[in-house]
Amino acid sequence: MADVHALPLGDLVEPVSVALKFGIVGVLYLFLVWVARSSVTDLARVPMGATAPGVAEGTGLSGGGTGEPRLRVERAVGHNPGDEYDVGPGAVIGRGGQVDIRIDDPYASGRHARLVRQGMVVIVEDLSSTNGTFLNEEPLVGAQPLQIGDRIRIGDTEFTYLDD
Amino acid sequence: MTARNREALALVPSALLLTAGLAAIFLRRDEFLSNESLVYGGVFLGLCLAAHLVIRWSAPNADPYIFPLVAVLACLGLVELYRIDESFAQAQARWFVIGLVMFAVTLASVRDLRWLQDNKYTIALASLVVLLLPRVPGIGQSTNGAYLSISVGPMSVQAAEFAKIGIVVFLAGYLRDTRQVLIHGGRRILGLSLPPLRHLGPLLVIWGTAMLMLIFIRDLGSSLMFFGAFLALLYVATGRLSYPLAGIGAFAAGAWFVGSRVGHVQDRVAAWRDPLDPELFNATGGSYQLAQSLFAQADGGLFGRGFGQAELGTMVDGDLVTTPLLPASQTDMIYALIVNETGLLGGAAILLAYLLIVQRGFRIASLARDPFHKLLATGLSAVFALQVFVIVGGVTKVIPLTGVTLPFMSYGGSSLMANFILLALLLRVSETARRPA
Repeated sequence: MADVHALPLGDLVEPVSVALKFGIVGVLYLFLVWVARSSVTDLARVPMGATAPGVAEGTGLSGGGTGEPRLRVERAVGHNPGDEYDVGPGAVIGRGGQVDIRIDDPYASGRHARLVRQGMVVIVEDLSSTNGTFLNEEPLVGAQPLQIGDRIRIGDTEFTYLDD
Repeated sequence: MTARNREALALVPSALLLTAGLAAIFLRRDEFLSNESLVYGGVFLGLCLAAHLVIRWSAPNADPYIFPLVAVLACLGLVELYRIDESFAQAQARWFVIGLVMFAVTLASVRDLRWLQDNKYTIALASLVVLLLPRVPGIGQSTNGAYLSISVGPMSVQAAEFAKIGIVVFLAGYLRDTRQVLIHGGRRILGLSLPPLRHLGPLLVIWGTAMLMLIFIRDLGSSLMFFGAFLALLYVATGRLSYPLAGIGAFAAGAWFVGSRVGHVQDRVAAWRDPLDPELFNATGGSYQLAQSLFAQADGGLFGRGFGQAELGTMVDGDLVTTPLLPASQTDMIYALIVNETGLLGGAAILLAYLLIVQRGFRIASLARDPFHKLLATGLSAVFALQVFVIVGGVTKVIPLTGVTLPFMSYGGSSLMANFILLALLLRVSETARRPA
């Protein structure tokens, strides 16, 4: 280095060395305590969308969003892909007349499946349809809580669940 | 104070620590203080602030504590490497810069994690290939009997470091799609409800891969790391304790089987069980390294010997610097060296820093709304935590010693780069979760 300003210490090497060691460990701990304290404050704050209803039910994960639960059309006869339907307190999907989201799919039953809002979660259940409902390409058994991004398929009709 | 200003401020201690640490080493070596350490500290701060600006620009709402924590660990690593040999610190500083660039590129380019989810099978396949490459003659290299690195020209790449990220991405994507079936399992056998065979199959394949890794790569450490992350993800995805418990049992059985048959693993286990046995201590590939590590840590006491004062007995062997008193002190044994120089107090601080990083990681997972993001953050944090556990556990004789790096501290480019990519992905999840609607 071009201009090194050196400070010779002579007899002071030992004490300065010890002071540096404790100084370093001290600064390290002060920093860690500060991070830990901020971290605890951060934990106490109620975060957005952090309420995880699924955890209480033992399902571990949950997509409990804060916004409006809705279904986005991926593909469906007579609907435009990208259209969104609000779920509201609940919605019935089917081919018949008395449904909230009407789909013109040969595999769909009159009243095929139902979405119901329960507290913070929206659950989906099959209404004993003939051909069944598929959640993420798995046959739906019983009522299942929905997470953001879940795909609901009935015959050739597919929706994505959104909640943000 | 906004999150980003908080982050910028928190980078100052790491620069201070680097300056003070180098000053302490110069003092020991030359008996005078110089402004050289201040220059290094300034450069380090500049680099970290540059990375901070990238975060400010591309992920303004991301967690503000993780990056400063990493900076503190990296600066202590640099100080200790400088203390072992100046050339290590110079090479590591270059890798640190490249790592920061990788971090910035990952953060800026992976804006939407859905891309990772959609390509999970490709990523998984690529990771497996990378993992097995070290076994291919010609490009693979064996270190102390384990097949861990690939040599490409003059460089050597640690396969497991990069593969761990790919495997976690795959597992998060896979479990995100199949978790519902795993929760509402089919048949019950012996009080354990098993998922349908179609879904149990892939899980068994993953267990089988972990076992194959043990046999082919002969590395208990990385195998433990991968399988542990898998179990953590399985638990978070299903919320059923029976899965990880069964998994631990299956892993223990497999590890015992392999450990009692594969020579290399067997040696490691024997060295671990009795490192002070004179016969093992003197044998080649025996317990010398582990025993010396234990001596070094005990010698450090509560407050340590002070920076630059550990006895290493540096020996220049051609280009390769070896430290006969603490072999591989720059990689595997860096934790033991730090404990020797800063004592129990310093060692505890390092572990605390890792603990805080992992806590922030799980916090990111708990805040994430998208299940894939949640699983990804969980998996990345878990694999990071397990890596620290495997190497610190190995050095302190909690588990058999295996050659895994201590993230952000050990000497080595692959480890730094891979962990910076991991960090960028975590911050991306955090940004998505904390962005105001």
